Amino acid sequence: MNAIPVLTIEDVATLDGVLGDFLKKTEAELTIVIDRGGNVISQCGDMDVMDVTVIAALAAGSFAATRELARRIGEVEFNALYHQGNGNHMFMNSVDDDTIMITVFGSRTTVGLVRFYSGTTAQNVANVLKTLRSNTHGFSFDAKDISAAPVFVEPQSALQK
Amino acid sequence: MSIINYASREIQFKIVYYGPALCGKTTNLNYIHQRINPLNRGDLVSLATATERTLFFDFLPLNAVVIKGFVTKFQLYTVPGQVIYNATRQLVLRSVDGVVFVADSQWEKMEENVESWKNLCDNLQLQNMNIEDTPCVLEYNKRDLPNIAPVNYMEYVMNNRKKRLQSFEVISSTGQNVFAALNAVSQILLHKFSKQSEAPQGAPLPVAIPVEPPHSTQRLPA
Repeated sequence: MNAIPVLTIEDVATLDGVLGDFLKKTEAELTIVIDRGGNVISQCGDMDVMDVTVIAALAAGSFAATRELARRIGEVEFNALYHQGNGNHMFMNSVDDDTIMITVFGSRTTVGLVRFYSGTTAQNVANVLKTLRSNTHGFSFDAKDISAAPVFVEPQSALQK
Repeated sequence: MSIINYASREIQFKIVYYGPALCGKTTNLNYIHQRINPLNRGDLVSLATATERTLFFDFLPLNAVVIKGFVTKFQLYTVPGQVIYNATRQLVLRSVDGVVFVADSQWEKMEENVESWKNLCDNLQLQNMNIEDTPCVLEYNKRDLPNIAPVNYMEYVMNNRKKRLQSFEVISSTGQNVFAALNAVSQILLHKFSKQSEAPQGAPLPVAIPVEPPHSTQRLPA
């Protein structure tokens, strides 16, 4: 297995810059970059109203589920998906083989604008991630850094059952 | 695959509950969600049919221990157990860091347990992983039912290999040993990543575990 991918403060700042610029141009509410396993890599925008972790897990599932649909019409996968709501919408597009970008937007903008800028943004994000993956530096921790205490604590009342 | 974010000081890990249909995977997550401190967990998301069979997956995000100033975030998933949903299982397994295999202890479920285990191994293989290198524990669930196989039989059927896994006698409906299994897989996973950062390239990755005596089954109290 490879070393654990590490996002340094500089990597995050670069990604934030790319995503911030995208949000400014499109007037979208929120954009999240996730891996296809549902892990959040980076996020930018108004995150107070949404649980980003849950959105990431569901979006990764949704994106992967449509792969089979795409295959039925002779495509490897759909590289973009659009979910239209009454007031809020979601646009998802493929960044590279391992990464997806999700954009949540409202009535201040249009899907066309989001789609237009998402292409170049995805390319810029892919370039940052490519550099990141080729870096050999990694976060390291030793066994002594891990407490022997249980990782998750169950309240006592349940243990006495 | 886990990700470390220096800006938010987080490490993310993904644990998948795997096993045959109706073995109690979702019940495990429900129990954890009910019992764990609400400050350390997010919403339990369940994509199920009207009859509560898992259609896509269940998902529960948890915050756990702090390592060197980094909060570890665990994302727990279940897979749909029904045989026909193998494509869904493959996608939920993507980037998995640890597995809790939930086996149904009832005699008539043995074949399904073995099939599901083989399916897990095959699906890991598809993403160039193998079960020997993946942090994994076994749950022998439904130990409160009358028609169950003895633990040594379960061990023979499910854990008969050179490097045996930790196994737990579990009653997921009451929560017996649910946290023990989760803690065990989490510890194996953390130790694996700690060794991984130390190990020279090409060195075998250790999967040993310090929480409970290795190769032993956690018995229920008499």
